[in-house]
Amino acid sequence: MSLVARLAALRASQDRGVLFTVIEGDGVGAKLLVLESGEQVGGGVPAEAADQFHELVRRGRNRLLAVEGARVFAEWYGPPPRVFVYGAVDTAEALCRGVKLLGWTAIVADARAAFLTPERIPSADRLIAKWPQEALDEIEPDHQTAIVVLTHDDKFDEPALIGALATEAFYVGALGSRRNQERRRGRLLEAGVAEEQLGRISGPCGLDLGADTQQETALSILAEILAVRAGRSGGLLREAKQRIHAEVE
Amino acid sequence: MKEIVDEVERWREAGEKVVVATVVATRRSAPRPVGTSLAVSESGKMCGSVSGGCVESDVYENAKEVLATGVPKLLTYGITDDLAWSVGLPCGGEIDVFVEAVE
Repeated sequence: MSLVARLAALRASQDRGVLFTVIEGDGVGAKLLVLESGEQVGGGVPAEAADQFHELVRRGRNRLLAVEGARVFAEWYGPPPRVFVYGAVDTAEALCRGVKLLGWTAIVADARAAFLTPERIPSADRLIAKWPQEALDEIEPDHQTAIVVLTHDDKFDEPALIGALATEAFYVGALGSRRNQERRRGRLLEAGVAEEQLGRISGPCGLDLGADTQQETALSILAEILAVRAGRSGGLLREAKQRIHAEVE
Repeated sequence: MKEIVDEVERWREAGEKVVVATVVATRRSAPRPVGTSLAVSESGKMCGSVSGGCVESDVYENAKEVLATGVPKLLTYGITDDLAWSVGLPCGGEIDVFVEAVE
């Protein structure tokens, strides 16, 4: 199989991998594809570059590497980020529509199967009618997953948040008034969640856009998710001092 | 190349030689993130982009040359005095584009 055919197959399977290309220096044009499974295609790329595979695959971004005697471009392959929403409420559908706009994957779970229908949430890629922990076990959130908890009901929100904090999700958000957040904080501490873990919860979630409708709320939450992913605080670009686009080096 | 790999594979399956140009570095402002690619086939088909349209024509010419020679090229585009009115990036940034034939 040619390298391009292997890359097309990789894109279809959504497995993770990195394609290294020497763009300057010794062996210019050489290519090496490394997959998470350990499979390798091609060669002629300095070991100093290929050795950075694990860091690159985890980081999930393309990057230009400067190594001894060469510059090597590393292109990342893998699935798009996922947004996992617990709570099949109106905002869930609005969120899913936004997630699809980004080209990401939208998953919604709720133990109340009657709420969780394709008619109510047509934009979700997947619906899971399970309790929070079981749903989390099923999707196995990773560092490319954002979790948003929307039920407003302690018996779902609390286990969903406790479960979410036990994963390496890059974002954990929860709706709810400031008063409710404070109350929930107390309950989560009582349930044994560590203080520093609670700091990971964006609650109330979203950027301060003055959002009112479900759609506006969804946009505000997605905007925060993007900002967190890029390590930004999300303000006005005209007042920002750093580069407009995410750091890619 | 990820975004256009399916198209490139279709062209190759049809027996065409293909050259891919990829943004591998950006400095200051830039219209497309690194990894964005433009592909050109032997018969002149094109897909993808490397900028908002500012440097595509020059990349296309270089791609045709790489198609003929098979030797990869590393190009740099930015605003310089002599380039400002021809090929360049109006956003004031600079990009490096690697042009190579794909096997």
